[in-house]
Amino acid sequence: MRFHIIIAAFLWAAFVESRKIRGISSSYKRFYRERKSFLCIDGSKMIPFEQVNDDYCDCADGSDEPGTSACPRGRFYCTNLGFRPHYIPSSRVNDGICDCCDASDEYNSHARCQNTCWNLGQKERAYVEGQMKTLDEGLRLKQQLIEEGVLLWREKQAQLRELQRAAEDLQIKLEEHRKRKHEADRLKEQTLKALKAGDKGFRHQNSTVSHLFQLLDSNKDGSISLDEVKAKVVLVHDETRVLSKDEALTLLGGGHQMDLSKFQNTLWDVLIRGDGYKIKDAHSAPGGLMSEDPHLKAADRAAEWEATNLKKVEEAYETVNMEISDLQKKLEIDYGTDWEYLFLNGQCYKLKVYEYMYTLCPFNMVSQKSTAGTEVSLGLWGMWAGPAKNHYSQMVYENGEPCWQGGSRTTSVTMTCGTETALRSVKEPSKCQYIMDFETPVACQPVLKQRGVHSEL
Amino acid sequence: MATFTERMGPVLLLWLAVCLSGSWAVDKGNFKTCDQSAFCKRQRAMKPGESPYRALLETMELTNTRLTLQLINDNNKVRLLLELYRLQGNITRVKINELKPLKPRYEVPDVLIREPPTEPLSLLSQDENGVVLSLGAESQRVIVSARPFRLDIVEGRDVLMSLNSRGLLSFEHLRMRKDTQADPEAENKEGTDPANPAETVKEEEEKVEDGMWEETFKSHTDSKPSGPSAISLDFSLPGVEHVYGIPEHADTLKLKTTDSGDPYRLYNLDVFQYELYNPMALYGAVPVMLAHNTQRTMGIFWLNAAETWVDISSNTAGKTVFGKMLDYVQGSSETPQTDVRWISESGIIDVFLMLGPTPRDVFSQYASLTGTQAFPPLASLGYHQCRWNYNDQEDVRSVDAGFDEHDIPYDFIWLDIEHTDGKRYFTWDPHKFASPKEMLQGLLDKKRKMVAIVDPHIKVDTNYKIHNEIRSRGFYVKNKDGGDYEGWCWPGNAGYPDFTRPDMRAWWASQFGYDQYEGAMENLYTWNDMNEPSVFNGPEVTMHKDAMHESWEHREVHNLYGLYVHRATAEGLTERSGGVERPFVLTRAFFAGSQRYGAVWTGDNAAEWDHLKISIPMCLSLGLVGISFCGADVGGFFKSPSTELLVRWYQTGAYQPFFRAHAHLDTPRREPWLFGPENTALMREAIRQRYTFLPYWYQLFYLAYHTGEPVMRPLWVEYPQDPATFALDDEYLLGRDLLVHPVTEEGARGVTAYLPGKHEVWFDIHTFQKHNGGQNLYIPVTMSSIPVFQRGGSIIPRKLRVRRSSTCMEHDPYTLYVALDNQRTAEGELYIDDGHTFNYEKKELIHRKFSFANGVLSSVDLEPNAQFTTKSWVERIIILGASKPSMVTLKTADGENQLEFDFDASMSVLTIRKPGMNVGADWTVTLQ
Repeated sequence: MRFHIIIAAFLWAAFVESRKIRGISSSYKRFYRERKSFLCIDGSKMIPFEQVNDDYCDCADGSDEPGTSACPRGRFYCTNLGFRPHYIPSSRVNDGICDCCDASDEYNSHARCQNTCWNLGQKERAYVEGQMKTLDEGLRLKQQLIEEGVLLWREKQAQLRELQRAAEDLQIKLEEHRKRKHEADRLKEQTLKALKAGDKGFRHQNSTVSHLFQLLDSNKDGSISLDEVKAKVVLVHDETRVLSKDEALTLLGGGHQMDLSKFQNTLWDVLIRGDGYKIKDAHSAPGGLMSEDPHLKAADRAAEWEATNLKKVEEAYETVNMEISDLQKKLEIDYGTDWEYLFLNGQCYKLKVYEYMYTLCPFNMVSQKSTAGTEVSLGLWGMWAGPAKNHYSQMVYENGEPCWQGGSRTTSVTMTCGTETALRSVKEPSKCQYIMDFETPVACQPVLKQRGVHSEL
Repeated sequence: MATFTERMGPVLLLWLAVCLSGSWAVDKGNFKTCDQSAFCKRQRAMKPGESPYRALLETMELTNTRLTLQLINDNNKVRLLLELYRLQGNITRVKINELKPLKPRYEVPDVLIREPPTEPLSLLSQDENGVVLSLGAESQRVIVSARPFRLDIVEGRDVLMSLNSRGLLSFEHLRMRKDTQADPEAENKEGTDPANPAETVKEEEEKVEDGMWEETFKSHTDSKPSGPSAISLDFSLPGVEHVYGIPEHADTLKLKTTDSGDPYRLYNLDVFQYELYNPMALYGAVPVMLAHNTQRTMGIFWLNAAETWVDISSNTAGKTVFGKMLDYVQGSSETPQTDVRWISESGIIDVFLMLGPTPRDVFSQYASLTGTQAFPPLASLGYHQCRWNYNDQEDVRSVDAGFDEHDIPYDFIWLDIEHTDGKRYFTWDPHKFASPKEMLQGLLDKKRKMVAIVDPHIKVDTNYKIHNEIRSRGFYVKNKDGGDYEGWCWPGNAGYPDFTRPDMRAWWASQFGYDQYEGAMENLYTWNDMNEPSVFNGPEVTMHKDAMHESWEHREVHNLYGLYVHRATAEGLTERSGGVERPFVLTRAFFAGSQRYGAVWTGDNAAEWDHLKISIPMCLSLGLVGISFCGADVGGFFKSPSTELLVRWYQTGAYQPFFRAHAHLDTPRREPWLFGPENTALMREAIRQRYTFLPYWYQLFYLAYHTGEPVMRPLWVEYPQDPATFALDDEYLLGRDLLVHPVTEEGARGVTAYLPGKHEVWFDIHTFQKHNGGQNLYIPVTMSSIPVFQRGGSIIPRKLRVRRSSTCMEHDPYTLYVALDNQRTAEGELYIDDGHTFNYEKKELIHRKFSFANGVLSSVDLEPNAQFTTKSWVERIIILGASKPSMVTLKTADGENQLEFDFDASMSVLTIRKPGMNVGADWTVTLQ
């Protein structure tokens, strides 16, 4: 009999206990010690203890009803033995939906909730274990990548220095070549001037008035006819074309023929200038007939040689400078504290989602190609955009192809920790705004590991 | 995921080319003005004057149910037949048709819920000038004048309404086309009165005008095989300065006069980016106008489904306030009068004069003709989350999870056209929505629901089952040459099922069966968009008027098409459960009677403050003509709202009947938690307020279903003798007891609300502050303010335990808000049923009446024969305007016990703690 009473008392106590403490975490138990009255945790009101968890909200802070749905701002503590304990809003108590894995939130509803905490806990543990492994592996890979990154960075720096040295050398060469070209040009100009001024010492027999006249006067009748002009004179720039009648007439000064004296004052000048017309088959270059002058020829060749040399050096200089600026631009980008993201520059990663192929070339651009084949830019490298404490967790690509109603496509890439480097998902939550998940070991953070260790399991 | 144009392909390009023109406002050039609509131009050219119509009294026949009489047009001798009925409930029906039309003229079917029961008319007097008939009650009479023909409805010495008093009755009789006429004599004989050969002499030659036999608008030619067939009639309303209704227009509640512009147009159209404050036609049409003054409310129901224009003029419209004062002081001049004129392209004149006299009488008169609001499932009164589009199942899952994460309740998540396999309705995108049942089960597990769109245009594709079946059954609308009518819409080339056919509707309904609609489950509901119908490459973005619905031209049935689509869909959802479950279907196009099939929204609005403002008069106008379940896209469909506008829109939408956020495909995401924690809290609070009032909303919808009274109503409906309320449309009432003045101004610091009722008091629902009625009250506002007041004298049951969805709150206890009036009394009701079946028709419901008087609050059963039990109990009673009692006693069948209470003297609020009785029981609570 006495034994029974003890059991009954024990059960009663257990019942009272279970009613009173429902929905409270152990750290809050001190507020709910059985007394005559209960003080709302915010201190706003004192109520009889029977009114705790009596399904009526007395305290403004909801503290008198931790185990019922009565208070709008209340919260219910799921103990979830075997899994992670957590709070749910009071409004989820007895709403017919299982929220706590230990089923404690549905103690008075039709919902038949199973205690799934052990299973969940196991899954979670397996998951966390997997995550830890991934993290370990990721961090190991990351270390490698950091080392490689540092090497790559140094290599690039060395490359830059080398290029800069080459550029300096080229600069000196360039100056030299410019001088030399200038000199050659000057010489050529002098020669030409002298020749034009009629300096006999420089003038060749072939260029005399009568010599040219005879050259043109095929039938040797002492005058140059229209047909003779057409037969012998051609355009400097188009030797193959026969002159038209009008062109020939112009050269003859309007008449159908001309004698030596007229020739000296008109056509001879034209031919000597050499910039419009010349005598057919005569070897010519700038300078017309004068080019046949050996002095002029030599000066001309020298100038040409220097010009070619200069051009070569200029090109080389330009190329080197471009390489430098490319490299500088590359190196200006923030690749993380240890240059760990540097290796991604120059790589591209692809993922097919439904009918679209997406390409992410980190630090460069993002694009989308439909099965129909049209490629659309989803943005060019913009910046890192993670929160302050994890700056390198997000990239933004901007100024992609314009959108139908203004603005342009942008992509935000979230970096997640993994053992591989790959594009994992692409979404377009709003028009023209893309979200990508990019997995890579370099995104692994040691901090994460600590959190894992101290998880509430 | 691609550009908009890529996805929509050529359809959209075409549509864009037609509609967009790169600007935000509507391209008015795409829609006809009255001048561009040949019949409107023709009819409007006719000015008031002496009517050519004469009543031939000798042809009068009076039976027990009706009076018939012939009218003759003295200009062309064509005879009309007038039918006059006195209908039960103080309605007079006037029908005018050709006596002997060349072929039958269209009479609108399926809108009246039955042939309206008549009451006997009796002849009071008759002479050669006319006849006088008694309308029974209250010395009401109809006077039929013979020469010229006119009708006057008179009560005592007052003329309530006159028909054809301005001589604008017009009836374009059907005629043979002159150039193809076989027998030129036939027409003449038609109109000739053989008894009076003298009349045959002066046959006026019909003028053949442009647009009578063919009409072209923007490269679309209407072949008009039947020629001119317009009808018109004028109504004069002496003593009336305020007319309302004839939705859908983006305009003020009080209709404006139309003398200086176009008439109000009723022609269901898909208007891209509609403009506000003008009489242009929109997606739906209800040809019902209400007229109101301090003495009486009346209604005119013009039952015609063809293109219709309504002109309104008023003899006081131009007068200044001073002018009116002067008239009053001098006791001079005419009484104010509003003149209305209806013009329709074809059909017959069939008009119901609803004679009131109270607003409630007019609602019940109209309800007796076209039925009442469908009683919606309770969950559909919760919050709806929509967007064009939630991209895939993962997207749906994460938005759903977002609501839980931010502790915001919602009941429905919506899928727009992108969920389908290539805009083939009744299908799912095989990649993005590969396992719809899994998705729906996920929602069901949280007691939530989904709506998927089903539009009436059907992709012409021989690999599409729905198309093949419709084609093989011959169910498509036909073009004028007899082939299947095809037009461009979302899927590209599309056919339009002929929903006017009962066999087509039955087949369509069957497609919602769980055995037909793959992936559907009981928590999947439907949304009908584009049912004007929208035809991207059609005239005015709709169907050609000479398309054929069996033997009738589209011209005749146009405004009815959307109603039929809505109806067939609602019937499908009902039938899939064997008639057990209530359907929920949202429609964009509507007509008189659409209230019977579900909810309506105001179409593709924009994220602008003016669009927020206009949502009030637009839904008020719909409520006045029976369509209570109305809402506007929260946030605005086109464009992206500022955070302030979005918050204000949530606060407004939470107090409008249909509460759904929606957004265009091209706008950024705007789920309520995307604007920072402060704004999330503001939107959460607005939505939570909605959920606490769900018992009241549900009761109002039950009332609307029973009586036709609007859920959301203008103030004048409850305060019909207070002219200060007549033009108010920035505030409104929900039922009788809640007054809402949403904040609709950017950067508002305060609003001025008119609190009606000189002897009434109003309680701020948030602070319980008491205000006297009959004043303009300035209310300072912050971003969290939603000015709402509970009327003193009312009792509103609420559920304060706001959960994830309305279904989760089913068994929750109630808090009763008892707001005392100056006599320290209050009354209210509570309606409960299972929330989703038709079992309420079998009286499985609880309907209680609460009343407070002499310090006693009691609950009595309004439906003693009903059978329903609820677990819900009363957890709290809050009495506003109370004094402190010494003792509070609860008395139930189980006995008596004393209750604890708390009294706040500063606000005079008495809170009775946990009375605990079942809410369905009889009880009293006594304050001593």
